[in-house]
Amino acid sequence: MTTRACAACLRHSALIGFLGGRLAAVLGGRDRRLGGVLGLSEEELIAAVAGGRANEARAFLTEFEPQAARHALDRLGQGTACRHTGLYPRSLLALADAPPVLYFAGEGDALAGLLAAPVATLVGTRTPSRYALEVAHELGRELAVAGVTVVSGLALGVDAAVHRGALAGGGRPLAVLAGGADVPYPKTNRALYDRVVQGGAVVSELPPGQLPLRWSFPARNRIMAGLASLTVVVEATESSGTLITAEFAAQLGRDVGAVPGHVTSRRAAGSNRLLREGAAVIRSAEDALDELFGVGTEERFGRGERAWEPGDARQGWRLPEPANADDCAPARADAGADDCAPALDLSSGDTGRRRPRSREAGPVLDPLERRVLDLVEGGDTVDAIARDAGLSPGRARATLGRLELMGLVAREGFAGYARTLKG
Amino acid sequence: MLASVATFAIEGVESREVVVEADLRRGLPVFTIVGLPDAAVREARERVRAALLNSGLEFPLQRLTANLAPADVRKAGPSFDLALGAAVLAASGQVPRDALGSYALCGELSLGGALRPIRGALAMALGARAAGFERLIVPVENAGEAALVGGLEVLGVPDLARMVAMLRGEWRPEAPAPPAPFTARAADDDLGDVRGQADAKRALELAAAGGHNLLMIGPPGAGKTMLARRLPGILPDPSFEEAVEITRVHSVAGLCDSGLSPRRPFRAPHHTISTSGLVGGGSTPRPGEISLAHRGVLFLDELAEFSRSALEALRQPLESGRVEVSRGQRAISFPAAAIMVGACNPCPCARSRNECVCNEVDHARYARRLSGPLLDRVDLVCELDATAPLELVEAGTPAETSASVRARVMAARDRQRERLAGTGALSNSEMDARSTRRHVPLEGRARSRLIEGHARRALTGRGHDRVLRLARTVADLAGRDSIRPEDIEEALGFRLGAEAVAA
Repeated sequence: MTTRACAACLRHSALIGFLGGRLAAVLGGRDRRLGGVLGLSEEELIAAVAGGRANEARAFLTEFEPQAARHALDRLGQGTACRHTGLYPRSLLALADAPPVLYFAGEGDALAGLLAAPVATLVGTRTPSRYALEVAHELGRELAVAGVTVVSGLALGVDAAVHRGALAGGGRPLAVLAGGADVPYPKTNRALYDRVVQGGAVVSELPPGQLPLRWSFPARNRIMAGLASLTVVVEATESSGTLITAEFAAQLGRDVGAVPGHVTSRRAAGSNRLLREGAAVIRSAEDALDELFGVGTEERFGRGERAWEPGDARQGWRLPEPANADDCAPARADAGADDCAPALDLSSGDTGRRRPRSREAGPVLDPLERRVLDLVEGGDTVDAIARDAGLSPGRARATLGRLELMGLVAREGFAGYARTLKG
Repeated sequence: MLASVATFAIEGVESREVVVEADLRRGLPVFTIVGLPDAAVREARERVRAALLNSGLEFPLQRLTANLAPADVRKAGPSFDLALGAAVLAASGQVPRDALGSYALCGELSLGGALRPIRGALAMALGARAAGFERLIVPVENAGEAALVGGLEVLGVPDLARMVAMLRGEWRPEAPAPPAPFTARAADDDLGDVRGQADAKRALELAAAGGHNLLMIGPPGAGKTMLARRLPGILPDPSFEEAVEITRVHSVAGLCDSGLSPRRPFRAPHHTISTSGLVGGGSTPRPGEISLAHRGVLFLDELAEFSRSALEALRQPLESGRVEVSRGQRAISFPAAAIMVGACNPCPCARSRNECVCNEVDHARYARRLSGPLLDRVDLVCELDATAPLELVEAGTPAETSASVRARVMAARDRQRERLAGTGALSNSEMDARSTRRHVPLEGRARSRLIEGHARRALTGRGHDRVLRLARTVADLAGRDSIRPEDIEEALGFRLGAEAVAA
């Protein structure tokens, strides 16, 4: 560990952990908002929430041994950063109640690298539609390919899809947990947690071993909003906790975006309301990148090269020079001018994909197949597809079978046909 | 004095000859039955004694021993009463002993001497003919059913006194009525009543034409049950041989009124059914629902709610068309060639797609309840959505009736019967791997489609054959001998992907 939180901050953070149960009693049930209680100093915090346990809390503070705590953290392989260390993300300081200490599982260098790149937070409901799951995965993947650090909360549904996408894109996901950084939550995402720790980092403001509490979820959301310059809500109901993240981001003056959903769907009611209220429309990673960098940014990353290097952690975000500036010249000479088109090229180098959602490379479809493919996207049953396309049900099935052979649609579980990402 | 009489014991849907020997000796008047009798057979002592006395016959006051041979076969049920009674009568010289030699007798006695109907009379008659008996005496209620077996004189007898009179040559029963010709179809539920759902109707037609298993997935109210109940109505009437097979199982289960079953069975067991209730079993094995649906339709509503073990037990019968039940030394086999039609909701909350509140874990857990191997045996999987309100309300063109769909199905079945003559298979779904290769010629593009299918979805080996058989049915319905690429494509389109099957 290159950096460690200072003793005072560690003590403050440990106190928050110690008073976690009291905080739950004071905050829980009434409101999911935190009311700045996490921004209080040690003494104020004890006065505000400790109640009958005030003396215990004071005793805890006097007996707190920073050295012992550090040893315990070392044994767990957890690093720490406080605002007095270089590793602490400056973006968090905009929060009035910025956490005194950020605990993290993973390498300090990796975290530094992640924080040096531009950061986008992608969040959404735990019960997403398939559409939202796919979009979440693709946004995560393509932003990771573009070198953006993708933050999410490791929850079921959208969050998990975002992390998986980021991992699939070869990027480094950053997960912010509501419990200790060593407590995979929910348990079903344990395997994903391990992959995120390996490939990126998992951070938390709570000391190790702390289980998530009711108040710690909105608290976690403020960190996710605080880390990122752009927060995207992929799908959220009206009452979703996800909207709290967007609210925090808006309060901090950060960009907020949302993925449009079906206007008739309850599941997308919250995210659609954000759009109505002026959030940026995020249809693809390109839209998100436009939000992050401004429209029309013309930079090109070298093949296989990342937008950031872990070693340059503290030097901030920079766009590297093209690995080989001559790359474009011969291409321009022959017909391949498109290859150097002035849009952000998102190819990761080894996947060979040029641009997100590029459909030019797909198999040639006749108009009927194209029509059926579009209808599948609308989530219609085969019955409705046959009716809309004017086909006999048998021919509709046959067309779907053909599209499936081309890999453009897939049948998942009991939910019928859906368009694949390739389609 | 010793006398012996032949009767038959039910074993699965077969019957086995059992010889009843009665020995009369001087001694204390006791009546003992040996030869692995169950409680109902031991109680026959009381019924036989009372029936004889109440029929004006004599019950010998001597030491009486009856043996049921072979002694190692378990004898169950009351159908041995009549043979026991006849053996006692013969041993005591009340009927001529040699008169019984060409007869087999089956029936239950009441205390008053009347004969009560028994289960499995058809199977017993088949056994009697196979064992070379010329005449079979059964309760008069079972005569019509037993008389379905040609080459055997079936004598329906109302009571013990009449039987004695017959054996003494003083009385002749009326010949049982010949099997009634199939009555015209009762007003079935008609497919024309179902609005919309063209895709599911297509799947239903294919299921009927080729005998393929079908799974309908849709929210409550989409019409899954309504559609399933209309499947028997588009199946062709059973042939005489099929009707005998159906009647045989129903007779063994005690579900047969009398005579030949004129229609294909439709069985819809509740999802709380036990494994042995579904596939058969019990200490004296009885046919399960899948055997009762033999040559007909087994409808499993709320498929995901059935117990895991019950569904797993379905796998083997769905593949082979038979159920093998092992009991002690013997394996008993029931026919089980039914079309399985399953219905389930798309997810545990059972709401329509945009209203669904389930998360991915719920979805995965729900889908896992249906095992992959079971789904791999389902050729047709179709998703239904609630019919659009407009379609429900609009008069529009009336939907196609069952009769016209059945005409197509029968034409397709005729093609199959001709092609499969001599193989033992009646429909495409029953083709074995060899006939499948032979009768589903794959050329050019159709062939490459299937190879693509393998590459894309890793069809299982079973899936491969099942796609071919369904494609054969698609072509048969279209009246074609050759298999076109779109036949394969449609078959693939109805099949659940291999990943889903592996779940």
